[in-house]
Amino acid sequence: MKRKPRNFALPVAFAAMLAGSSAVAQSVDTARIEAGGQNDWLTYHGSYKSYHYSPLAQINTSNVGNLSVAWIHIPGRSTRGLQSMPLVADGVLYYTGSYSRVFALNGATGEVIWSYFPELDEALIARQTHSPYNRGVAIGEGKVYVGTMDGRLIALDMKSGKVMWDTKLVDSQKLTVGFTGAPLYAKGTVVIGSQGGEWPGRGPIFGVDAATGQKKWEFLTVAGTDDAMKSWGNDSWRTGGGGGWMPGTYDSETNTIWWGTANPAPLYDWSGADYKTQGARPGDNLYTSSVIGLDVDTGKLKFYHQELPHDAWDFDSAVGEFVMLDRDGQKYVVHPNKSGYIFVYDRNAGVKNVWRITQNSNFVKNIDPKTGELIGRRDFSAGKVSEPLCPHISGGVSWNAGSYDPKTGLYYKLGQEWCMTLEVMKTTPIVAPQAQLNIGADFKIAPPPGGEIYGHLDARDPITGVKKWEVRFPEPPLASVLSTGGNLVFVPDSRGTLHAYDAESGTELWNHADGTGHQGGIVSYAVNGKQYVAVVAGFGGMASDDYAPTFGGVYKSMPRDDGALIVYSLK
Amino acid sequence: MMKPNPGLLLAALSALSLTSAMPALAQSANAAPDSASLDVPQLFATTCGWCHSDAGRAAGKGPQLMHTQRSDDFIRNRIKNGKEGAMPAFGSVFNDAQIDEIIKYIRELKPREG
Repeated sequence: MKRKPRNFALPVAFAAMLAGSSAVAQSVDTARIEAGGQNDWLTYHGSYKSYHYSPLAQINTSNVGNLSVAWIHIPGRSTRGLQSMPLVADGVLYYTGSYSRVFALNGATGEVIWSYFPELDEALIARQTHSPYNRGVAIGEGKVYVGTMDGRLIALDMKSGKVMWDTKLVDSQKLTVGFTGAPLYAKGTVVIGSQGGEWPGRGPIFGVDAATGQKKWEFLTVAGTDDAMKSWGNDSWRTGGGGGWMPGTYDSETNTIWWGTANPAPLYDWSGADYKTQGARPGDNLYTSSVIGLDVDTGKLKFYHQELPHDAWDFDSAVGEFVMLDRDGQKYVVHPNKSGYIFVYDRNAGVKNVWRITQNSNFVKNIDPKTGELIGRRDFSAGKVSEPLCPHISGGVSWNAGSYDPKTGLYYKLGQEWCMTLEVMKTTPIVAPQAQLNIGADFKIAPPPGGEIYGHLDARDPITGVKKWEVRFPEPPLASVLSTGGNLVFVPDSRGTLHAYDAESGTELWNHADGTGHQGGIVSYAVNGKQYVAVVAGFGGMASDDYAPTFGGVYKSMPRDDGALIVYSLK
Repeated sequence: MMKPNPGLLLAALSALSLTSAMPALAQSANAAPDSASLDVPQLFATTCGWCHSDAGRAAGKGPQLMHTQRSDDFIRNRIKNGKEGAMPAFGSVFNDAQIDEIIKYIRELKPREG
């Protein structure tokens, strides 16, 4: 039986009163997101600069010991946990749960202002693998935008939660994939990228008119141009994968959307060293595992850099962080690749440096820091791979975000140390009756050579990669990181503890148990002069589902269908 | 603009319905007949193995299948209907005979040599 969409709204007058009590409610537009007012968190990455940093300093190193829970919200039906990045505008917090449930809450009290539960194609979702989690919303022009697993982008009135438009973008019933990532609002356009990767499609990214819901443009990350088509031998572009399942950002100086693209399918190729002419998808496979620059108005490709030509390891570029900073008159963009290599670009995706956050990495010998060229790459043939592949398929870094603190000049980023054994096997893409995963190997998680699996929070120079300090964790934390003007770095770990560290030294100053593992967002905001830190807790998903069999302990009893939004303030 | 590709269209369900040794052009676009056999090892390397590690030999996101104590009926039901948040439903993809082949593969799983 299909559920009816539920839409519960308190009287609009209440919402208006709430907004009026904290600040004069203003429209959220590109200029306001660009300015990034300190009380708000208006876009997935905090601002278009992707810092995941709040300048608020009421909670700081001297008083963080007094941090305590202000309120909690339970979204319900948190299948595979909570993975959302909350947004905050004018004292109202917006976030999503699994199945694209959207909530607007009073940021000071947690009181529900409105909620929206879309009616979804549940039979389709039951057939999906990377589902039904949702990673958040975008806001702009008085609307809240959310993607769905059945291929739609929906706009809700910011004050009431009423549906303003509902646009079908992906034929999910055939392609099986939809949207889990948050959209990005910029300059009248809502941008959202489809899932893809190991799924045999062409991985579209869409630009949709924020006012009307009409599709403005579509960019295919698989063979989206004539030149790119030539990089897929044997018509393999037809089932090439790709996609862009995490939100990127917007550079207003050049009117450009920066987006990271997903990997090609199958994940593991049997080409051997002759990958240009042999195997499942001969060639470089443009524009998979790349960063691309698209004109926000037209979706036209302006520039790109393929971080991993012919990615044969599923270390894609879909991580959405594009940290934009200036140093010595140069404008840089810092983008982590899933492999654990961090690419530093100029504003046209020209490579300025490449550094690595992981200790254990052997899919290439190195990546040339001057050119970005892969050196000593391992291209497998069919059969058992003798030496374990590092990192593991879950990556050297998570899809979640690090944080850049402009006061300390340090980039706080989590690294993951794990590997995998694998046997590469030839496969055939399955496209009917519904598309299916195309992996190309049997594999199993493995510890790094001579050591144990672990994770680490690094404080590094974002341009050079020089490390100032490191904190280790027995299991890789998977959630996003937050730094604040209070000289604090918050890390929600996988066991369920939220930690606060001194941003200069890495000394732990406070921690608190949130009751279950973290794998989503964390933000800070202020209402009526009071600072809050909001974090989602709730475990489950493609990386965290491996934790119980791999680590045992607290993960054996950790639910994978539960979660909460937990909001902290000073006592 | 996508051009029709006879090879791909005709290859629909190829890995599921027919052994991989057959050329794609010779394969049927229709749902597999009951008698069609599955290349189950290839199916694990294509789809199932993301969660059922080492082709079903080890626990991963999904349980270890080798030496499972679950009954055939339990496994058949789980493949058909899935489990919310844990296992996709494949009831519209495989027919009963094909699911029986998957169960046979699971029952015959042995540790890898060496």
